[in-house]
Amino acid sequence: MSDDEEHYNPKAHKKLLTAIGSLGSVQHIQKSTRDERQTRQDEFQLVKSVRAAALEHKPRAVGLNDLVQILRTSSKHAQTGKKLKNIQSTKKVLEKPLEKPAADRIRRTIGYEGVTKKLGRWDAVVAQQRSAETQIFPIPSETIYVNTAAHAKPLKTSIQSDLAKELEASKQKLHELRKAQIGDTSDEKVLAQQERDLLQKKLTRDELFARRKELAYLKMRESQKSAKARMQNKIKSKKFHKLQKRQKMLEQMKEFELLKKTNPEAALEKLNAMEKIRVQERASLRHKNTGTWAKNLQVRAKYDKDVRKDLAEQLAVSRQLTQKQQESDSETELNIKPAAHEEEEKDYDPFNPWTKQKVAGKAPTQKAASEDPNWRKYWTERNQNTKLLEEHRNDLEDVKPAEGSDVEEELRSEPKQKPSKKKVKKPKVSFQNGWEVEEVDPETNVRGESKIDDIFEAHEEKMRAKLTKRLASLQQRTDRLKAAPAKSKKVKKKKDSLKNLKDLAIKKTKQRVEIDEPLNHDDEPQQQVDAAILESAPEAKVDSAMDTIDLANVATLVWTQKKRSSGALNDALVNDDEAEYDEEDAAAEHQLTISQAFEDDDIIADFNRDKTKDSELKNTELQLAMPGWGSWAGAGISHEVMERRNKRLLLKLAAPEKRRDDNKDNLFINETSTKQARQHMVSSVPFPFRSLADYEASIRAPIGRNFVPETAFRMLTRPAVITRKGQVIEPMDESELVKPDRRLRHIVDKRIKRLPKVPPRAQKA
Amino acid sequence: MKVKMISRNPDNYVRETKLQQHKMPRNYDPSLHPLEGPREYVRALNATKLDRVFAKPFVCNLSGHRDGVSCFGKHPKLLSTLATGAYDGEVRIWDLANRVSARSFVAHNGFVRGIAYAKDGERIFTVGDDKTIKVWNSQAPEVGEEEEPVNTILSRYGLHGISHNRKDNSFATCGEVCAIWDEQHNDPLKTLKWGVDTLHTISYNPVETNVLACCASDRSIILYDQREAQPLRKVVLTMKSNKLAWNPMEAFNFTVANEDCNLYTFDTRKLQTPLKVHFDHVSAVTDVDYAPTGKEFVSASYDKTIRIYHAHQSHSRDIYHTKRMQHVVCCAWSLDNRYIFSGSDEMNVRMWKSNASEKLGIIRPRERTNFNYQEALKEKYAAHPQIKRIARHRQVPRHVLNAQRKMRAGKEKDQVKEANVRKHSKPGKVPYVSEKKKHVLKEEV
Repeated sequence: MSDDEEHYNPKAHKKLLTAIGSLGSVQHIQKSTRDERQTRQDEFQLVKSVRAAALEHKPRAVGLNDLVQILRTSSKHAQTGKKLKNIQSTKKVLEKPLEKPAADRIRRTIGYEGVTKKLGRWDAVVAQQRSAETQIFPIPSETIYVNTAAHAKPLKTSIQSDLAKELEASKQKLHELRKAQIGDTSDEKVLAQQERDLLQKKLTRDELFARRKELAYLKMRESQKSAKARMQNKIKSKKFHKLQKRQKMLEQMKEFELLKKTNPEAALEKLNAMEKIRVQERASLRHKNTGTWAKNLQVRAKYDKDVRKDLAEQLAVSRQLTQKQQESDSETELNIKPAAHEEEEKDYDPFNPWTKQKVAGKAPTQKAASEDPNWRKYWTERNQNTKLLEEHRNDLEDVKPAEGSDVEEELRSEPKQKPSKKKVKKPKVSFQNGWEVEEVDPETNVRGESKIDDIFEAHEEKMRAKLTKRLASLQQRTDRLKAAPAKSKKVKKKKDSLKNLKDLAIKKTKQRVEIDEPLNHDDEPQQQVDAAILESAPEAKVDSAMDTIDLANVATLVWTQKKRSSGALNDALVNDDEAEYDEEDAAAEHQLTISQAFEDDDIIADFNRDKTKDSELKNTELQLAMPGWGSWAGAGISHEVMERRNKRLLLKLAAPEKRRDDNKDNLFINETSTKQARQHMVSSVPFPFRSLADYEASIRAPIGRNFVPETAFRMLTRPAVITRKGQVIEPMDESELVKPDRRLRHIVDKRIKRLPKVPPRAQKA
Repeated sequence: MKVKMISRNPDNYVRETKLQQHKMPRNYDPSLHPLEGPREYVRALNATKLDRVFAKPFVCNLSGHRDGVSCFGKHPKLLSTLATGAYDGEVRIWDLANRVSARSFVAHNGFVRGIAYAKDGERIFTVGDDKTIKVWNSQAPEVGEEEEPVNTILSRYGLHGISHNRKDNSFATCGEVCAIWDEQHNDPLKTLKWGVDTLHTISYNPVETNVLACCASDRSIILYDQREAQPLRKVVLTMKSNKLAWNPMEAFNFTVANEDCNLYTFDTRKLQTPLKVHFDHVSAVTDVDYAPTGKEFVSASYDKTIRIYHAHQSHSRDIYHTKRMQHVVCCAWSLDNRYIFSGSDEMNVRMWKSNASEKLGIIRPRERTNFNYQEALKEKYAAHPQIKRIARHRQVPRHVLNAQRKMRAGKEKDQVKEANVRKHSKPGKVPYVSEKKKHVLKEEV
């Protein structure tokens, strides 16, 4: 055994031990390598870790303590070592994490809130879509296409020819002029900046394709247009050019009309230009039948009726062109009186029709003014208008401060007297064409004006009273509103998550009836349901003025009659926004006036009499026996027999039905109106409408082609949803969130947009 | 003899230039048209009658499946393509313009549970009862080649539905869990789980494409965000929801088809009460799909009818049915807003017009204006009783009528009972609960 012990080799033994020890650490199953991204490890792929056993033999990892120890040895880093030690000793233990369900709940809440916020972005878009009068699908995209490709040809502005430059400059000038004419004030620079910004943006591939298409289309249009213009220039037909010219003239007139409203200055220039064209045409030899064409025709004129007609037409045109001028010429020749000239100019009064005429006649004599007689007329008119406006405005301003009545009265009286004073001075006798012209007595004029003034004054007074009343009521309301939130604050704590959407909802300008009822499958039970609905439905919110009206009688097809029969009532219905602020006053007033008006006749008695008269049956018994029929004539006929017979032939009608308003004293239901018509009548105000007046207004206006102009017809019959055949409607896109208002392409859309946005009730008032 | 003739001045009716409007001798003075109202009313009445006369919504029947139709997949780009799956695992691609089945292949063992097109329409994803997701080319194979899936993914969990993201390359499946997949990977990016119940339908929000919703068999609807690690919210109704559809124009609204014969429209931000309860079906509603305009939706029901609803009204605007149509399992609204498809138990796919009396084919401008006028008139006089009666009258199958009567009786009975209980208990003890609130049990956070 000792031999054995001697043989004991510690080295070999140790080797054996390590070999045994390492037996378990051999890994037969390889750790899985992930080739797909995945968040969860599969439990079957988890491998038992071998490291735990091996750790004991391995050298210990470096800890913070070791660092501190080393640092302590050198005096240089002693301070740092201390700090480290401190940090180690004062470190806090982290709190235990929340339990998993609670943590998940918090995470879910946060996630949900995020999504809610994200979805909330769509509120405005959805609200707008819901309130839109017409929706077009697929939603038209409004992309501005700009060529930003790297290989795109840049504009060679430097190598532009001089001619091109000049052209551009003139074009620019023209553009500016045009802008000034229209009164456009948009800044070019800002627009340019926007364009540059857009240029810097990168476009997606689809957008690029779309842009290319657009450009190609534009180019094609351009070439088409230029070709058309070239062709048109080549046309030799005189008639064509004549028509074209007339067309142009018409267009210009239209433009002028428009400008007159928007930009009077530009309109003036336009007018002058038009006048100039006329003058030029007049001065030229056109339409005088002196051209080659006319001469050739004159030869034929003898034999050809049409030719004669043409020539006559031509002459007529020339006459028309020169006529007006001749008139004024003759007038001036007769009229000129240079001596009286200055005097007349002094006492020129825009209000005096005589002097005005004189001025108009005199104008063409002056060289400068000869070209624009209309101009002068226009100006005088305009001055007059502005003057009147100014006066009126002054009056209003004087009225407005309006507290001390005396002072105000004085103030007001002043500006009114001024013009009258002027007028008193004016009368003057002047000679014209040998006629003695005398001013019309200004006194009458003044009186008339003062009368008008009175009316105006009274009206203003009324208006002011109304305004103050409304102001007071508004004040009250605001006070009430201010007081209210203080109370409700405590009560209302719950947040409405759809509030934004509700706030954004715009009231539709055109209300449509919404019928949300089950489809009727068989008639019989449906009627029951209807009746049940009618009974259970809460009464439509009706204004106080109309809760006594039977709706069945008013909301019918017979509008005009109804209007006439209850005019006062309808008035009350129509201006119910007025009724809003002084309902009580108005009601009291109304009562008063009615009672005053019918002071001396007893309306109630009249009403009752009418009612009973209407309800009593006219012919309760009908005598069917005819004299002389079925009876012998002559003497000896007993009256008894006759009477018995008559009695037998007497037809007694059934007792009258009870009236519907029998036990309602102050109600009269007209039962004579046909029952056939009644089944076509609406019995209650349908859903989205709040008041009878609104609903009636929506029904009253016709929409047919026969009753309204074509454009109005198109506007009124525009469908609510327009889709195109064969086009996929994509869901709402994110670009919709940042999109500016769609530029309207369809002419009807444009017209609708241009309409004043006034609710129907306000229009009537 | 003297011949009298009417002679008119051509200036009164001949336009001066080509570009001017034709002059119409017409006087719009309202005093000259005292009967304009009655005339329009009669026109409206006639238009309504004609509308009912021409209401023939059925377009065609697509037959070819050898088992009941289980699901639809709409091509996102092509209007004439529709994919349908059947109970026997067969998928058919239809050419709707020619009304023929363009292609068919057996995709799964057992039911095809869901079909979804990729966002560009190049691939078709199908899931079936065999726990696989199969990816198919939407192009038919060459002649002689066999139909083979491009890719087959074996899932660890059972699969009941699939939905593809409209903007991403990701799609989502539901079953035991809700899994978000990427088209390029064979493992899900994410699995979202809340509770142990089976999710039987899934639907991506088409507008906010990160949001999706599932319906679970514990009667709940669960909202997810594909970027979050956790589901978002759960709302439990009184009965199971069968299908869910998002409104494509209003990002926050969705509608669920419920087992209790109703549909519920919810706002995602306010799940305690539905925005609208849509009644009228008499049996479980099996499917719902929104019109691409977001204004209407169509619902299929076990009562063998499909109904069309305005998204914001509680009663249907129309009902479609035919004698041979059995329990309708799925329905879809075409992406051009013109047609409706319904697939039913008796192996047929039917195509309907979304507007029953709409004229198909070319419509000339004058015709179009006339139609517009008629529509406007109908709308204007919609509340008048005769017009309403004609416009809303529908002939329905006897069984629907009977079921309706039965339901009405039941409802009335409940109401009477509630009223009686209220009458005989302390005031305020039996509260009035609105119809909307009755159907939502709870909202879980």
